[in-house]
Amino acid sequence: MRIPYFAYLTPSTLEEALSILNDYNGSVRVLAGGTDLIPIMKYGLDAPETIMSLKNITSLSGIKLENKELHIGTMTSLADLLSSRIIIDNFRALHQAVAAAAAPPIWNVATVGGNICQNSRCFYYNQSKTWRLERPPCLKAGGNICHAVPKGKKCFSVYSGDLAPALIALKSSVSVERKGIYRILTLQDIFSGKGTAPFTLEKEELLTSVIIPLPDKGTCSSYVKMRLRPSVDYPLLSVATSVSLDGARKIKEATFVLGAVGPAPVVVAASGQLLRKGMEDTDDFGALGEILRKGTQMVDNLALPGSYRRKMLPVFAKKAIQVAIE
Amino acid sequence: MNKSQKQLISLKINGQEYEFAIHPNRTLLEVLREDLMLTGTKEGCDDGVCGTCTVLLNGAPIRSCLYLAIEAQGKEVTTIEGLAEGEKLHPIQQAFIEHGAIQCGYCSPGMILTSKALLDSNSMPTEHDIKLAISGNFCRCTGYNKIVTAIKACCQNAVGGH
Repeated sequence: MRIPYFAYLTPSTLEEALSILNDYNGSVRVLAGGTDLIPIMKYGLDAPETIMSLKNITSLSGIKLENKELHIGTMTSLADLLSSRIIIDNFRALHQAVAAAAAPPIWNVATVGGNICQNSRCFYYNQSKTWRLERPPCLKAGGNICHAVPKGKKCFSVYSGDLAPALIALKSSVSVERKGIYRILTLQDIFSGKGTAPFTLEKEELLTSVIIPLPDKGTCSSYVKMRLRPSVDYPLLSVATSVSLDGARKIKEATFVLGAVGPAPVVVAASGQLLRKGMEDTDDFGALGEILRKGTQMVDNLALPGSYRRKMLPVFAKKAIQVAIE
Repeated sequence: MNKSQKQLISLKINGQEYEFAIHPNRTLLEVLREDLMLTGTKEGCDDGVCGTCTVLLNGAPIRSCLYLAIEAQGKEVTTIEGLAEGEKLHPIQQAFIEHGAIQCGYCSPGMILTSKALLDSNSMPTEHDIKLAISGNFCRCTGYNKIVTAIKACCQNAVGGH
């Protein structure tokens, strides 16, 4: 599979990159590690005229702790995150999410920003051009039908990033820059919830850093992931959680962030009472199972059917709590 | 810049400098196999999943099918052809032969380079470390046990890289 031709730009400073994004009116694609963009181009799902590589912008890489906040440059590789002592000691959900992402050789190239900003996926969309020619184009490909949900009026493609659910559970913000403008958003706010265009960011904008507050004492976190091949696959379902414990290590409350359940991660807060009841339930997760399923849109567009993934949601949510508090 | 224009790049591959005029859309895998005839690096899924196209970039394993050749400028690329010294095989290659860790051989270049990167950074890996390191390399003959045995044998011989 050949990548279509494109012009290649390599700015060496952030200012230069923001100017390019501004001057090209958003017609330029940003290349970070490329592990998401390159397969998309090989499949003919995108054929940008110009690609801007961020590899020479050293200011976008690095992990530093400042004023009780961890700042991670968006060009930091997953391998650097995985070996970071600060992350291992303080941000367990993030460490577990990186370890569960793709395979070790991908960690050496893939970046934090690229992982967060990866396009949503669907069994009927992420296929070769020849495969897709057998069917009329779907909503995500610019057509007007959904192959996953016949008569579906919206796109059900699935956000499959591993880092974002963990980072949202850890209450992360992101800095977003465009020429002359800098803003900070909660990570959750960059997701539009629309499968056809999963992000709210403007085409002239660049995600430049992720900011995570140091968790309070008594807070623990985890990330668990369901996939067919534990060494390489995208999630079929993932659950990140942040759990608050009291002095006696009794669960006070928890936040669940569900991944691969729709076009954006879904956040669900749960009270201590419900959680404690759910943890005691030997078969399921008690009433929490239904609460967790409420905002999800799991349909038959990944390797396992939506019905099975819905059944497994409380199982993995319970597992996430167990991993967090152990 | 025009998208039909080639660009002049220089790459350091197996210790040797090469200069090419290439279109930026060429992957490292394509340049290695088609321009340099370094066909030891295999094309498998071409989608970043199987690991047969693994090469080392500054000593770390990467998927060459997902990496643009133009992005490798200023970095050192090692392919399977860069391991042996003339007729003398690298100790990891030798161990793969001695322990029957090669069946059809298609995954072997990627497996051996991944093992080299592991042993260069950790000369005494545990079995878990070995399995984790090669978890992104598929052997469709399913000869994983012998591959793990061969890598373990390299640790016992206390060899990593050159």
